[in-house]
Amino acid sequence: MRNKIFSLFLGFIFLLIIFGLFNLQIIHGRNFKALSQKNCIRLITQPGARGRILDRHGQVVIDSRLSYDLLILPDEEGRIDKVLHAIAGVVGVAYSGLKDEFIKGYLSPSIPVTIVRNIDMKKAIALEELKPNLANIVIQPHPLRDYPYASLACHVIGYLNEIDRWRLTKLADYGYKTKDIVGFGGIEEKYDYYLRQEEGALSVEVDHQGRFTRVVGFRPPKNGRDVQLTLDLRFQKIVEDSLGLRRGSVVIMDPFTGEIIAMASFPGFSPVAFLNKSSGYISKLFNNPGAPLLNRSISGVFPAGSIFKVVVSVAALETGKINLSTSFLCTGSTYVGRQEFSCWDKHGRQGLLSAIAHSCNTFFYKTGILLGAQNIHDYALKFGLSKPTGIDLPYESSGFVPSPLWRRLSQFRNWFDGDTANLAIGQGDLLVTPIQMARMMAVFANNGWLVSPYMVKSVAGQNIEHEQRRLGKISLKQATINYIKQGLRQVVSDPSGTGNILLSLPLGIAGKTGTVQVAQGQPHGWFVGFFPFNSPKFVICVFLEHGGSGYMSCKLTKQILEMLKQKGLL
Amino acid sequence: MINMRSANATILISAILISLLGILSIYSSTYQKEAQDWPTYERQIFWVILGLVFFLVMANLHYRRLWDVAYFLYASALMLLFLVFVMGAVRLGAQRWLRLAWFNFQPSEIAKLIMVIFLARYFSLKSVDNVSSLVNKSGILRSLVLPLIFMLVPACLIIEQPDLGTGAMIMAIFMAILYLSGVRLRQIALFLGSIILLMPVGWHFLRDYQKERLLVFLNPNIDPLGAGYTVIQSKIAIGSGGFLGKGWLSGTQSQLRFLPEAHTDFIFATFAEQWGLLGSLLLLLLYYLLINQGISIGMKTHDNFGRLLSFGISAMLAIQVCINIAMNLGLAPVVGLPLPLMSYGGSSVITTFIALGILANINKTRGVF
Repeated sequence: MRNKIFSLFLGFIFLLIIFGLFNLQIIHGRNFKALSQKNCIRLITQPGARGRILDRHGQVVIDSRLSYDLLILPDEEGRIDKVLHAIAGVVGVAYSGLKDEFIKGYLSPSIPVTIVRNIDMKKAIALEELKPNLANIVIQPHPLRDYPYASLACHVIGYLNEIDRWRLTKLADYGYKTKDIVGFGGIEEKYDYYLRQEEGALSVEVDHQGRFTRVVGFRPPKNGRDVQLTLDLRFQKIVEDSLGLRRGSVVIMDPFTGEIIAMASFPGFSPVAFLNKSSGYISKLFNNPGAPLLNRSISGVFPAGSIFKVVVSVAALETGKINLSTSFLCTGSTYVGRQEFSCWDKHGRQGLLSAIAHSCNTFFYKTGILLGAQNIHDYALKFGLSKPTGIDLPYESSGFVPSPLWRRLSQFRNWFDGDTANLAIGQGDLLVTPIQMARMMAVFANNGWLVSPYMVKSVAGQNIEHEQRRLGKISLKQATINYIKQGLRQVVSDPSGTGNILLSLPLGIAGKTGTVQVAQGQPHGWFVGFFPFNSPKFVICVFLEHGGSGYMSCKLTKQILEMLKQKGLL
Repeated sequence: MINMRSANATILISAILISLLGILSIYSSTYQKEAQDWPTYERQIFWVILGLVFFLVMANLHYRRLWDVAYFLYASALMLLFLVFVMGAVRLGAQRWLRLAWFNFQPSEIAKLIMVIFLARYFSLKSVDNVSSLVNKSGILRSLVLPLIFMLVPACLIIEQPDLGTGAMIMAIFMAILYLSGVRLRQIALFLGSIILLMPVGWHFLRDYQKERLLVFLNPNIDPLGAGYTVIQSKIAIGSGGFLGKGWLSGTQSQLRFLPEAHTDFIFATFAEQWGLLGSLLLLLLYYLLINQGISIGMKTHDNFGRLLSFGISAMLAIQVCINIAMNLGLAPVVGLPLPLMSYGGSSVITTFIALGILANINKTRGVF
């Protein structure tokens, strides 16, 4: 009896064990399989290089170079010394220095210690040749952004930094992860998806101490795609040199296509500082009231001043309110209602062309009153003001064109004729960006087309210009365009024209100056023009923030064009 | 006669098959890490061959002889255990081994078997024909107290080494033989009750690591990198084997050394990782065949000494197999018990083969009387 019970009891225990086995291996088998893989498989990421940024002729503006780090897998103590001695001979650093680095960086036997950073390629190859003898050295390449021209075109290019929370939420669906390095501002941000590299990985098997046993799989990293700009490096250098330390912006654009040839803005910043994480410099950048991170060419909004008179002239001619024989008498000031509006000079009797050439305020006060604010507003919008130009750079401002309706709706105030007079000379609430002004001027250079400016010519060797080039015809009479062009030419050619200083250039430049009175400080200075007059090739917009006057901008324009001529670029 | 021979053949074939599986597992978990002149798996082959020799010797030595020398065996076991206590080699923090010429000998292994022989002798009579049980006539002193004292002396010496597993096993064997020899259930209940009552007291006599292991058994995650590490890794190894296993020499847990003691106490995890549920069931079947042979031999034997001896040996094997596998599965606390014939270790292998040899001899000779 007891024998039976004993053997039954044994059978029961065996069944219990079988059940336990089944539970572990079948019911929870998948979990444990995952755990065992987690135990022994490690991923080592292999960084790729970010795409380069080239200028229109293929010159490298922003490069990616490989920098090498030397790592050591800690092993037995005695072997480390041998390895360090061997390395010291190749790298040219004293043994004791390496030993110090090793002791400082040592965390645990399984984690490689970085001994030397940023080794050049020759030494890296020499170290690689040591590898058959010294198994525990690792040479890890990691690509680094290289800025051969320091801060040249920094606003156009942007900078690189660790991804922030806002961008991460926006881009997580595109495979971006925390700690990713992404572009901030400029081409680096706008074309980040193309420029960014794809990480490869090495999956290795390790033992219980985390020591490497074998390679399980490898996916090679992919480099980012090169982006070619429409920018001309030679133009850009001259423009930036000429702008110097003056706060402002210069844009040179092809009036027929919208290609940006040069785009400068000052103050700027040094993108290398973000790579080196020099936090002192970076916090100064963000706190600087001069806004050095702002690309004034596309994101800075300023009153247009006298440049806007071009728009008013077009509106007046098109609506038939005035014609070429219309003239007003400028006595240095005029009354609108009971308020006196002054001109900057006594011009006497002025027709349209001479009013443009002399930038006569009185003429435009009166023309503006004839036109009415709504007409001015409508024509301003035809020229693409009050909305972004659509340039392929981030953070473009739209500017602003006021209208009576807007005043009513958002400010609960009436629009007066005085406001119209102010608007007619580009003062008041009107705000424009330099790129909008360049684009407006291009309409006269190309006979009536509104271009969309763009920066990028091709991505990874594939031309995308046909997608970038977007032209819209503005329905203007050819006669109107011709009259305005004549006026713009007279600005330079007329001995008393505001831009007469530019006449000495053998280019045949036409354009309009502008001086913007501001509440505080020096007036802003504008010059927007195109050249050569007979067959225009470039539109130039020079804006100096608190630069004094339009005359200063003309001087800068002259300096730039002379330099370009001298270098044989025109 | 043919039937009897086939029983012996089953024992021998199962034992050899289990040993072979053991050697394969030992090879898989040690071949990468050793640069010794005499690799572990080759030493195990040697022990198995030596064990087979002992098996043949014991199978041809009449088991009644053991009745005669039981007290002498008991005395020499005590001697050996005392020697360990005095001059044993310390390894892995325990003093369990006697250093002989070129190998370490673990007397507690052979002491287990000697206790089985001794207790079988104690509860049976010299006369083969008298099958009536002895204990029914005698009082509690003769049936419980005296054998308890005989058992406790070596058990305490072993627990003191410290080797709680083997000590507890001897107590379990004692219980089994007590039960099978017909001691009144009342008395067994009394014995069990007193053990349970003594447990809280015994807790204070345990070493720190033993307390830790018992706590960790209740919840391995309280110390996943320390005491709980082994159980967690062993469960991962067994579980990740799945139905078919990862294949021989492809077990990541055992071969990349995440699993400690992969060729001794945790050899079952090594085996189950590589051969999966299918292989594990085969191994369990082999063990079950082996143990079941012992039980059926015991049932057929009318001689009380032979009967108790076969049951005792089966119980000894069964307890070791069950506790070891349960501990690998995380169903029992971690104690230092080898898996008979699988785990690496000469003392264990040879003891097991001697025990199986005795079984074979009982099977062969019982009909002669």
